[in-house]
Amino acid sequence: MRFIKSTLDKVKIIAGNNKYLKTFNPVINAMDEFFFGTDKVTTLPHIVDNMDIKRLMSLVIIALLPVTIASIYFWGLRVLLVIMVSYAFGGLIEVCFAVFRKKEIHEGFLVTGLIFPLILPPGVPLWVVAVGVMFGVIFGKEVFGGTGRNIFNPAIVGRVFLTIAFPNIMTMNWQMPFNKGLGGFIHFQNIVDAVTRATPLVMLKNQGVITPYMDLLFGQSAGCIGETFRVGIIAGGLFLIVMRIVDWRLPLAYLATVVIFPYFSNHLIHTQFALGGFQLLSGGLLLGAFFMATDPVTSPFTKPGRWIAGFLLGFLTVLIRGLSGYVEGVMFSILLINAFTPLIDTMLLKIRYKKK
Amino acid sequence: MLKPARTFRGGYRFKNFNGQARPVIVENQIPALVTIPLKQGFGTELKSLVKKGDTVFAGQTIARDDSVVSSPIHSSVNGVVEDVKRMNYFKRQTAMVIIRTTNTSKEIPRLEGCSVEWARLSNEKIEELIYLSGVSSLDREGIPTRFKSSIIPTEEVKHLIVHGIGSEPYNISLDLLLKDKNLLNFLEGVKILKRIMPNSKVHLSLNAKKKSIIEQVTKLTSQLEWLDIYPLEPKYPQGYDEMLVPTILNQNFPYGYSAANIGVVILNIQAVLGVYEAVCEGKPFIERIIAICGLSIKDNIHIKVRVGTSLKDILAERIKTESPARVILNSLLTGFQLNDINLPIDRTFSHIIAIPEKREREFLSFMRPGKTRDSYTRAFLAEMLPWVKRAPDTNKHGEERPCISCGFCERACPVKIIPHLLAKYVQRSLIDETIMNYGIFNCIECGLCSYVCPSKISLMNIIKDGQSKLTMQGCDSTQCILPYFNLKGIEEYRGVTKL
Repeated sequence: MRFIKSTLDKVKIIAGNNKYLKTFNPVINAMDEFFFGTDKVTTLPHIVDNMDIKRLMSLVIIALLPVTIASIYFWGLRVLLVIMVSYAFGGLIEVCFAVFRKKEIHEGFLVTGLIFPLILPPGVPLWVVAVGVMFGVIFGKEVFGGTGRNIFNPAIVGRVFLTIAFPNIMTMNWQMPFNKGLGGFIHFQNIVDAVTRATPLVMLKNQGVITPYMDLLFGQSAGCIGETFRVGIIAGGLFLIVMRIVDWRLPLAYLATVVIFPYFSNHLIHTQFALGGFQLLSGGLLLGAFFMATDPVTSPFTKPGRWIAGFLLGFLTVLIRGLSGYVEGVMFSILLINAFTPLIDTMLLKIRYKKK
Repeated sequence: MLKPARTFRGGYRFKNFNGQARPVIVENQIPALVTIPLKQGFGTELKSLVKKGDTVFAGQTIARDDSVVSSPIHSSVNGVVEDVKRMNYFKRQTAMVIIRTTNTSKEIPRLEGCSVEWARLSNEKIEELIYLSGVSSLDREGIPTRFKSSIIPTEEVKHLIVHGIGSEPYNISLDLLLKDKNLLNFLEGVKILKRIMPNSKVHLSLNAKKKSIIEQVTKLTSQLEWLDIYPLEPKYPQGYDEMLVPTILNQNFPYGYSAANIGVVILNIQAVLGVYEAVCEGKPFIERIIAICGLSIKDNIHIKVRVGTSLKDILAERIKTESPARVILNSLLTGFQLNDINLPIDRTFSHIIAIPEKREREFLSFMRPGKTRDSYTRAFLAEMLPWVKRAPDTNKHGEERPCISCGFCERACPVKIIPHLLAKYVQRSLIDETIMNYGIFNCIECGLCSYVCPSKISLMNIIKDGQSKLTMQGCDSTQCILPYFNLKGIEEYRGVTKL
C-alpha cells in the first residue's frame, strides 16, 4: 500500500512538471482514486450510502466471473488473451477521450470490456476483437458524450458492427467445448476439435435438431465464449437481482415473453417457432437478458417501461429467430429496444404526469 | 382500537446503527449561564418582557404576546438577566435573553390552577395551562389553544396524530419515554388533548417493531372509541408529517404547507407528555429530554437538560476528542450542522448526534467487505450479519460520477417523484412548467435520494435549487396546491414561516 502510494506521488510530481505528461492527469487521478478512495465529506445529508459506482461495477464483474472462468475451461486459455485485448484497446479509447475532454475516467468501461469478449465466437481473431471493441466504445458511447448519456449498449454496438462487417468470421468460428479433465485450463485452444460446428440455433434452423437441455445448461454446446455456461449466467443474474443492483422486472418480462410467446403463436397462427424452453436456453438470450438489456443507462427507468421493454425484447427476439434469415435475435432486439427506450420513458411520463 | 400495520411505498429503513442512545436518563446539572432564544418552535419571535439586571426565577415567563401566533417563553433558571441581545441562531438573527444563574435549586414553581384531576378543570383553564407552559409551541404546527398558539382554532382540528415511530438512523428511545408511569401520563395527555379538541379523531402511531408497547397501549385504551392505534413500519421518513397524513388518513398532503392547514395536528410523544405535565403537575416546559447519539460520543445516553444550556455544557465532557467529529442536530439526513458550540439548546431539540468526520482515505475502499457499512443495496457484508452494528461517518465513499439512471432514487423516494429526472432538467437549465408538472414542489427534502445515489450526486440540493429558480420565474408552488385543497389559516402560517 505504501509502495503504491509513494509511486503514485512520484508519478504525480513528474507529470505535474512535464507539459506533455500533464495531459495524462486523468489516468493518474483515476489510479489514485481507484486505490485510495475519496477524502471528500458530505454536506447534506450528513451520511451517504457506502455504495459507489466502482463497487457497483465490480459487483457486475463478480457476477460475470463464473461465466468467465467456465469459458476459459471450455475454450482454452486463449480466452484470457481475447479479454486482455478487449480491455487494452477499449481502455485505450476511453483514456484518449478522457484526456481529450479533460475529464476523469469512468468505471463503466470495466464492464463493457469484459462483456464484449464474452459475446464473440471462441475462434475470433484478435484483431477483430480490437476493431470491435474500439468501434463499440467510440460509436456506442463516446460520441454521445460518455458514460450515462449513451443510447446504445457499447458492447452490442461493437458486436453488431462485427456481425455486419465480417459475417464470415463471426458465423464460422464455432468450436466444440472441452469437456474432459482440466480442459481449457491447460490448453491454449481447441485445435484437435477445431472443426466448424454449428450452434444449437443453427442446428435447429437447418436440421431441426434440438440439443438436449442439460448440454445447453452446462455449456456442452457450441456458441459464443460466454453464453454457453448458462447455469453460471443464471446464478450471476440472480446474484445481481438479490443485491438490488439490477431490477428484476426487465429480465423477468423478457424471459417470460420468450417462453410464452412461441407457445401462443404456434397455437393461434400455426407458425412453427421453436419451443419456449429451447428458446430460453439457446443463443445469447440469458446473457443478454441478465447483463445487457438491464444496463441501467440504456434501459427505461420507469417501472412500467421496464415491463414494456422486456415484453418487446422477447417478442422481437422470437420473431427474428423464427422468421428472419438470422439465427440469433437477441443482439438486434436489444439494439432496437435501446433506440426505443427514450420514447417508452417519455410516453410513460406523459401518462403518469397528465395535466389535471 | 388496534389497526393493521401500515406503511408507504418507497423509503428506506435504517437498521442497526451503532451509537444509539441507551434507554438511560441522566439529569444534567443546572448550567451557570443560559441563553434563551425568544423564538422556540412554532411561532413568531417575541419581545422580551425582562431587561438587563432583572431577577428572574425558573419558570418565569420572560416573553409573551397573545396578539400573534406564539407561545410564552420562560426563564429556565433562577438568576439575573445579564443581557438581552440579538445573536445569530440557525442562520437568522434572533433575540436572546442571557441569564446568569444565582441559585442552583432544582425547584420549579408550579403553574397556578393545575390539578391531577384535570377532568374537573374547565376547557379554558386547560388551554391556559398548556399555553402558559409553552408546550403549545412544539412540533410543526404547535398545539391549538384559544391563545393563538397555532394557526387554527381548536374546533377545526379534525385529526390529531401522535407519533412515536423512530424512523431516523438515530432515535430517541420509545421505551424510555413511555417507561412505567410515563405511559399512563402519556395516555392522560392524549385524553386532555382530545378534550380540548373535541371534534378530532385521535390516531396513535407507534413503531411496529415495539410489540410490547403497542400491546400495553392497546390494553389500556380499549375503552376509547375515538382512539385508533396504528403500528407503522419504522421506515424513513415515516415520521414526517407529509408521510403520516397519507399513510394514516389516506389523504393527500398539501406539500409546502402545514398539516394544520388541512385540520390535522401532529405531535410527538414528548409534546404529549409535556401537556400532561403542564395540566396535571403545572410544570412549565423548560426541560427537555435529549438523546445523545453517534459514535463520537463516549457514552450514548439520554439527558434531561434545561432549555438555554449551551452545547458546550452538554458536549464538553461527552464527546470523544481523539478524532474530529461533526455535531448534528436532530437528524442525520436533514439536521443542522452545529458548528458553534456556544449555541444554546431550545425546546425543539430532541437529538444531538456526533459522528466521525472522516477525511482519511481508505486503501481499496470499494473492495472492502463492509462489515459495518450501511447501504440501500444489499452488497455489503453488513446485510448478512444482522447482529453487527453499522458505523456511519461523513465520508462520501466514492467519487461523483454522471447519473447512470440506476433508479435507486426513484425507488427510495417517498413522495413518488423521479429525482434523477428532475435533476437532469435542472442541471441542463430546462426550468419551466414541465418540472413543476413532474412534481418538483412535492419534494419534502428528506434527503433519501442523495443518500442512496451511487454516483454521489447531491440530488436534494439540485432539486432545492431548481425549486428556487422556478419560483424566481414566477411558477409558484401554490399553483399545484391551492386549487386542490381547502386550506385553513394560510395567512397565519405565512406570518409564522416568513419571519
